Amino acid sequence: MSLGTQRQFAAALTDPAVPVPQGLTAWNGPQPQRRFAVYRNNVVSGLTGAIASRFPAAETIVGEAFFSAMAAEFVRLHPPHSPLLLTYGDDFADFTERFEPARSIAYLPDVIRLEAARGKAYHAADAAPLDPAVLAVLSPERLADVVFVPHPSLSVLRSPHPIVTIWAMNAGEAELRPIEAWVSEDAIVVRPHMTVEVRRLPPGGAAFLQALAEGKRLAAAVDIASEDASAFDLSANLAGALQTGAFVAIR
Amino acid sequence: MKNSIATLALAGSLASALATIAAPSAFAAENTEKCYGVAMKGQNDCAAGKHDCAGKSTMDFDKGSFKLVPAGTCTSMKTPEGHGMLMPA
Repeated sequence: MSLGTQRQFAAALTDPAVPVPQGLTAWNGPQPQRRFAVYRNNVVSGLTGAIASRFPAAETIVGEAFFSAMAAEFVRLHPPHSPLLLTYGDDFADFTERFEPARSIAYLPDVIRLEAARGKAYHAADAAPLDPAVLAVLSPERLADVVFVPHPSLSVLRSPHPIVTIWAMNAGEAELRPIEAWVSEDAIVVRPHMTVEVRRLPPGGAAFLQALAEGKRLAAAVDIASEDASAFDLSANLAGALQTGAFVAIR
Repeated sequence: MKNSIATLALAGSLASALATIAAPSAFAAENTEKCYGVAMKGQNDCAAGKHDCAGKSTMDFDKGSFKLVPAGTCTSMKTPEGHGMLMPA
């Protein structure tokens, strides 16, 4: 098959408006259109299924019918660039942000980002979390200059919506009920051992963890976090970071 | 912050962070906790092993059934059978 035919074949797979490539033959007749339609349908439903399995909470929120229509549109506009389906859908959140029918669900893209971070954490390399004893033996003078090495699975997300609560309720982690306090929520997603953990962050926590993950020194990260939120509690956030296994080593 | 003050503040925070590592985290998964021994019969959210689930508890204040309550409020709840517990009994 020539490169031109391959391109035409691939384009026709995800776009029904593109005609069936020239020169195709089918076992049951001279008209390969029907056989090609079966193949086209299998490709789209396979990729739609891959998206649905990566974003189950989003599917619960909008319902199966809406989700599969939205995912099929995504598949059509953003066919995979890699044979590895585990990364397919990394840009699904950005797509839903611009997807007109989903505009009324303002929190949906951030919930999808949270689920994408969970998938990333699931497939990230294994690494043992930092042993708190390593910090305990540091001299106080050294402390301000300590740089933390983030866990390979770590993601920190910030949202103006209560994404952790919404995610937990739609992932079966929390009871479904009205959300009384519609507040912004920041999340940490990390897989210190076998299970992906999702936690809500206290004020300034996201700024603190992001700064540390970028390689800022501890003192600088504390300044950034205090500026972000005056209620930033250093000792609670340090304890949280150590408990969740957000970091693997110090430098 | 002056450097010496900053160093002291960091060291102090680290010391208290290390001391609280075993305690419940400030990074919460939930804003509720499972509170055992406070649910009236039929009002439980779920349970550990004794019966199928929500609403199936047959005993008032059953220590094996829990009710989801706002985090941090469980052990301060008083029932005629004693305080709420974070673990089933």
